[in-house]
Amino acid sequence: MEKERPCRTYTASETEKGIFEDEALEAIWELAESGDVRLDDAVREVGSEEGILRMREDGLIAIKDGLITLTETGRPRARDITRRHLLAERLFADVLDIKDYEDDACRLEHAISPAVDEAICTFLGHPPTCPHGRPIPKGECCKLYTKKVRPLVQGLPDMDVGGCARVVFIKSPAMDRLASIGLLPGVVVKLQQKKPSIVLSIDETTIAIDEDIARGIYVKSEIC
Amino acid sequence: MHKHRHKHREGRTAPYKRVALIGNPNVGKSVIFGLLTGRYVTVSNYPGTTVEVSYGNISLDGGRYLIVDTPGVNSLMPMSEDERITRDILLRERPSVALQVGDAKNLKRTLLLTLQLSEMGLPVILDLNMEDEARDRGITIDKRALQEILGVEVVGTVAPERKGLKELRASVSKGDYRLSSVTPGYSPLMEDYIEKVSSFLPEANISRRALAVMLLSGDRSLGAWLKQNLDEQAVEAIESLREEFSLRSSHPFGMAVSETRLRLASEIAEKVIKRGPAEGGRLLSFMGRVSMHPVYGLPVLALVLFALYEFVGVFGAGTLVGLLEETIFGEYLNPVFTKAVEVLVPLKIVREMLVGPYGLITMALTYAIGIILPITTTFFIAFAVLEDSGYLPRLAVMLNKVFNLMGLSGKAVLPMVLGLGCGTMAVMTTRILETRRERLIATFLLALAVPCAAQLGVIMGMLGALSPNALFIWLSCILLVLLIAGFLAGLLVPGERAEFFLEVPPIRRPALENIAVKTFSRTVWYLKEAVPLFMLGTFVLFVLDKVALLGVIERFASPVVVGVLGLPEKATEAFLIGFLRRDYGAAGLFAMSEGGLLTPLQSVVSLVTMTLFIPCLAHFLMTVKEMGLRTTLIAASIILPTAIAFGGALNWALRAFGVSV
Repeated sequence: MEKERPCRTYTASETEKGIFEDEALEAIWELAESGDVRLDDAVREVGSEEGILRMREDGLIAIKDGLITLTETGRPRARDITRRHLLAERLFADVLDIKDYEDDACRLEHAISPAVDEAICTFLGHPPTCPHGRPIPKGECCKLYTKKVRPLVQGLPDMDVGGCARVVFIKSPAMDRLASIGLLPGVVVKLQQKKPSIVLSIDETTIAIDEDIARGIYVKSEIC
Repeated sequence: MHKHRHKHREGRTAPYKRVALIGNPNVGKSVIFGLLTGRYVTVSNYPGTTVEVSYGNISLDGGRYLIVDTPGVNSLMPMSEDERITRDILLRERPSVALQVGDAKNLKRTLLLTLQLSEMGLPVILDLNMEDEARDRGITIDKRALQEILGVEVVGTVAPERKGLKELRASVSKGDYRLSSVTPGYSPLMEDYIEKVSSFLPEANISRRALAVMLLSGDRSLGAWLKQNLDEQAVEAIESLREEFSLRSSHPFGMAVSETRLRLASEIAEKVIKRGPAEGGRLLSFMGRVSMHPVYGLPVLALVLFALYEFVGVFGAGTLVGLLEETIFGEYLNPVFTKAVEVLVPLKIVREMLVGPYGLITMALTYAIGIILPITTTFFIAFAVLEDSGYLPRLAVMLNKVFNLMGLSGKAVLPMVLGLGCGTMAVMTTRILETRRERLIATFLLALAVPCAAQLGVIMGMLGALSPNALFIWLSCILLVLLIAGFLAGLLVPGERAEFFLEVPPIRRPALENIAVKTFSRTVWYLKEAVPLFMLGTFVLFVLDKVALLGVIERFASPVVVGVLGLPEKATEAFLIGFLRRDYGAAGLFAMSEGGLLTPLQSVVSLVTMTLFIPCLAHFLMTVKEMGLRTTLIAASIILPTAIAFGGALNWALRAFGVSV
């Protein structure tokens, strides 16, 4: 396996400016979701008029008649950062089951590269909205799936009967019992039936489990 | 359902070598045990048939061996009572070798266990059983290659056909027990903690390394052992090391251990397994799928119940009982005995004891052999077929949701259905359930509302003769009580419902020989257990009758029996002997009904009450042994009033609404 690289360090001013711009763009994007963005609203949200004016100089936004619009350079950046934030919220809320996720979502959005953002989006099944109901801006990966497509990773009960899948991770109180018969991440399972109980097979072993246990087994479809 | 038990405890200076049969559930350990020792222990096709340890002494090539049959385990970190029994055998009795029986078609899982045994420092002989089933699925294993990789002897068998048995015996008697050279290694951080924990542990029958791994994985079942063998500080130190590890690593220790073992097992399996096209067994696997299919499973269930009713209710309780009780006993044996006794026995009182209305021959033997024996035997045959086919776990799959309503998981279907055979054995089988809460509810319901084969047969025979309506009322009442009591128990007994997790074995063609042997041994067990109690019960009635106490008791119980239940005073006798054995009580009602002493309505009420009545003596004692006296007494104090109250309510309802029976 490749060695882990040490994290790159940023200079303080570099990060601070970047983060401020990201946050401001995100705030403007959110305000734009409900109509025109007035400069004083944006200033109130961001807390620094000076910062916003500097963003105009950097060509991220334009200000006309007290209204802010995003420029060619500013728009994609605002979109991306909003997308990352909302995806992070989904990740924390749905998969990791963390209740108080706002602060972490805010930190994570600055840390995700576009490639990782697509991977998370695919992992989550290209969700259309965040947990609060705000629309998540579509990424390249979502455009590939114009129809509503199955998420790449799904709970075992969402699989098709007769289908096969590889276990990605398990989050279930029955983890030890599943492990003892060799049901661990990386193993391929076949779903035999969902009702009246879930029956699945691993190699030559067939087991019946509750839906509760099955919900905690996350799988990625494979061809049998 | 009997067990020959020869308990050998630690401490004896033993000239023999201990050979522990270890393996995953339902791989055929008990079959191998039977073949090695010539001693029959129950063999079935569902995981969890063996819930206690059996021992058998054998001689092989001059050496003496003690073979130990153990409950099946998926992991030596126990998740239920039966698994703990096996782990404790390894921990407390030091076997010379673990004869691991594995499923040849499931090599990876077999190896998961082999790796644990080798980690424990136990020499292993690996027996890959069911090679025929593996071949059907196109799986062949290069045993020589496997032997070379593991460094232990590997034998292949097909136990029911006695294939490979000679080689297996030879590998035991050769005495060349080797430790596997393959043991899993973990990450440096984990190894560090394993070493730290090991340093606190004493020398034991299994390696300190294995114990440390179990403790770090959070095995709570070792608590008692730790307290016995370590001082408090050491126990605390281990606990804080475990906590420290979980803070330092995001990946749970137990998970990492399982993953490492599976990786290693898969690697080895890859090297020795050859896969070809499946050769057979398609019909059986089709039947296996259909019998638990959400739609087709229901007609299959109906068919099974119908066949059961026809065989046990109509053929057993009707035809056979008619032949035995009425013809053989009624027309031949009893008149002959009566004549013989009258001639041979001068004392009137002894004559009456033997052939009077409460005679040991005319009542006890006639009931036991004339009525109940044919019924239980047919039930045991039918039940053995069900057990060996592998249908029961599929029934559990079908009924899981219903059992959830009763605070139980589908796995509890196994002891509950077994309870239809014999409640005493069923109470023991609750060991396969994972939580004490589930065991508690299951034992309670077994005692309350699950009639055993003997009783069931008598009931079916009696109600079947009345009308389908009567049978329907009885069945609805029992199911209703089962559901309500289960639902309430689920609410009242604290704790979470255990999750449903059950291995479903393949459907197999039941072997005639095993059915015959199993039915025979269960019937013998039944006769040994039931007949003396029947005799005792009859004798008690006889004495009570002679000293005129029976009348007093009947009058004393009259407000309940006559007032509440609306039955004749004589029915008290049936309930009285019902304390000894419920089937005997039911047989008493059967005789009353035959003699025209009970109206159809009274028959239904009395049978419902008798079914719900407190269980027989043996069942009661087993419950005390498994769950403790206090719990059992509490259960009994709920059951008795419930039975009478429900019977009374039924009596009132049937009369009030003028239901025709």
